[in-house]
Amino acid sequence: MSSMHAGSIGRKPGIAGMFDYRTRLTISLLAPVLLFFIVFNTIPTLWLLGLSFYNYSLTSGMPPEFIGFRNFVQIFNNRNGIWFDLSRTFLFVGLGVTIQTSLGLLLGFLFWGSKAMPGRRIALTMLFTPMVLTPVATGTFFRFIYDPDFGVLNSILHGLFGMQPIAFLTNPATAYWSVLAVDCWMWTPFMTLMTLAALGSVPKAELEAAEVDRIPWHKRLTLVVWHHGKFILMLGVLLRTIDSFKTLDLIIPMTKGGPGQATRLVAMELNKQAFESFNIGWSSAYSVLLLLVSIAMTSVFIYILNLRRRRRA
Amino acid sequence: MKKFNDSYRGPGLAMPRRTLLKGGAIAGLAGIVGAPFINRLHAKEAHPLAGKKIDMNILGIAGWLPSSLGVKMSPIFADYVKERFGYEVSFGFAEAPFSDLFQKAATSLATKSQEYNIIISDSQWLGALAKPGWILKLNDVIAKNKELQIDWYSNTITEAYQVYPDGSKDLWGLPQEGDTIALFVRKDMLADPKEQQAFQAKYNAKLPQTFEDFENLTMTEFEKVAEFFTRPDKQLWGTAMQYSRVYDFCTCYLYPFMWSQGGEVWDPKTGQVEGILNSATNAKAMEQAKGWLKYQPPGALNYGIAEEIDVFTQGKVFSCFQWAAVGLAMITPQNKDKVMVVPPPKHGTGAAAKRIYTVGGQPWVINAFNDEAKMRVALDFMKWWYLPETTLEFAKRGGNPCDKATLSNPNFDKINPWGRAYKYMLEPGRSRDFWHDPKYSEMLALQQEGFTSYMTGQTASATQALDYIACGQQQILHDEGVAKTAPSGKCSSVSL
Repeated sequence: MSSMHAGSIGRKPGIAGMFDYRTRLTISLLAPVLLFFIVFNTIPTLWLLGLSFYNYSLTSGMPPEFIGFRNFVQIFNNRNGIWFDLSRTFLFVGLGVTIQTSLGLLLGFLFWGSKAMPGRRIALTMLFTPMVLTPVATGTFFRFIYDPDFGVLNSILHGLFGMQPIAFLTNPATAYWSVLAVDCWMWTPFMTLMTLAALGSVPKAELEAAEVDRIPWHKRLTLVVWHHGKFILMLGVLLRTIDSFKTLDLIIPMTKGGPGQATRLVAMELNKQAFESFNIGWSSAYSVLLLLVSIAMTSVFIYILNLRRRRRA
Repeated sequence: MKKFNDSYRGPGLAMPRRTLLKGGAIAGLAGIVGAPFINRLHAKEAHPLAGKKIDMNILGIAGWLPSSLGVKMSPIFADYVKERFGYEVSFGFAEAPFSDLFQKAATSLATKSQEYNIIISDSQWLGALAKPGWILKLNDVIAKNKELQIDWYSNTITEAYQVYPDGSKDLWGLPQEGDTIALFVRKDMLADPKEQQAFQAKYNAKLPQTFEDFENLTMTEFEKVAEFFTRPDKQLWGTAMQYSRVYDFCTCYLYPFMWSQGGEVWDPKTGQVEGILNSATNAKAMEQAKGWLKYQPPGALNYGIAEEIDVFTQGKVFSCFQWAAVGLAMITPQNKDKVMVVPPPKHGTGAAAKRIYTVGGQPWVINAFNDEAKMRVALDFMKWWYLPETTLEFAKRGGNPCDKATLSNPNFDKINPWGRAYKYMLEPGRSRDFWHDPKYSEMLALQQEGFTSYMTGQTASATQALDYIACGQQQILHDEGVAKTAPSGKCSSVSL
């Protein structure tokens, strides 16, 4: 009784009195972020989820009509060919991220192992330039570079090999790969950066110890470098995977999803349905499904990252 | 005498006749000289906005000359209303490319915003803007304002820029700029005697030389001309058309092949597409359009308006099917003496040959959520836009007016090199618009996908591409409630 009484002495009345200083500080620091998150993320996501059950077109002049799961059923029944879009997108993500990671690792190790190389900083700055360009600008540049009439690439090919102009972006056989090549050009530097960050996180002492112990390089790589750098590297892969899955602004200026449907990825169709056709209900349902796919992919990555820890436990 | 004088003057009116006449003359003169000022004073007082300052915003099309002319001429309007009505107006401008403008307008109007008070819409968007009630219906406005009761050059103007639904009498827009497809040709090449001889030797025919020659030309005859000037080894090709997937570029250039040969794209009364669009006539027309690629530069599949301007002004093509609206960009100081603008060729042969090309151009539409003051300014602006001196100034700056008075002016053809061809193509039956339906954008996106899929070779058969489009559009219109019939069972197995 007396301890309860003593505990309540000096405490402010009301809600403020329920928390100590540390808790109040934590809450006051978190509150703006949480509020921002709720207003700009949670509420729109819930709104999106709600709209996905409605038939609602912005240009119809009609109020939204509740239709239950009909939008989702239409998507599963391949309306607008979205399964083809998904398969094209998965291929784009798989190939793109694999190429970018491989090249990024190669370049990362190259720069990591050549710290005394003259002009290293300039080379690194130039290497990172594509990454800081906006995708729309990059797409527009490459549309001109690929152009069969004016493009510099065809001029070079003609000059060097006497080749006839290639319609890179209007030929269904080459368009997809041409866009993928630009995506790799743009984002390989990001994976190089992540590789350098991952390698920078490896303690020098452990590397030196491994060298003194004459551990073979491949074992050093797996036991020391990978052990310390894997999280940052996998984070890079995860970010690229999610980003690549959403690729839109690069494709719009290059091909607009064409020729035909050759470069139509999921984000292209979503953009078309939502912001060209204004099918708000259908595109909300599509967004919800794509969000679930993104969450699933993220979960897989996190699961892989935590696999060893789980095994140890 | 005194008696006489008294009787003449009358009681209390002692004024000699000369003075009376002088006074009358001065009063009359003052009346004549001062009438405009009195009238202006009266007008200033009468206008509800007199003494106020209004800020207006126009949303227009980025990179599109006629749209920018509407914007650039707005200071003239500001001077006009200040002088005439006594209020000040300033204009702010927003713009987006064709492919994004509707999106920009719609997202703003959907929130009932008056961010854009006047919008330069594309003709096909009328339905999508009108049905949700975003733009002002103009029937009453036109009925109440004589200045807006204009005699247009042809029915094409009303059908393309004013009416929604098609065939009704509901008016939603007023023409900002008329536009038709014209054929820009290099007359210096046609006039070259060596070329004439070579053409004569190869085809046993004469190269067309005049506007009238082209007026009578069919696509079959023009194909010979295009083939003749296709010389890839010299970086020269016969012609250029638009095949780009962007916006409506491919559609606008493919429809003339269909319409001119008897094909239709839908039935606006029933909303029926399947069985109409995917006809044998239209499939053949698509094959023909694709066949023309062999006379065009290798990048033609990506050509839109800007790319055509590039290849033509750089001398890579002999001719170019292009919108009259971009005449100023097509005819540069370097090529101005070498270019002639003529009607595009007819399709078919003999007496049955026809030319029905796609109409371009844009209407003004007025934001329905404008407050009273902005609405008043918007209407003043429209009335000013159709004043004879404004339309003439618009034409002199490179625009294409639509009123009969300006176009019938004997000097109109001389104002711009493309004026005559534009006017010719505006004649009834030579140009037409397509779908003013609210689902326009969705139907177009699907169609562009199908058309370009065939043009680029991703889809091997024109029939397959047309089936895909027809089924998709039938579904869209059926879902909308416009089409009475759902897509047929055959549609379940159709894909690109």
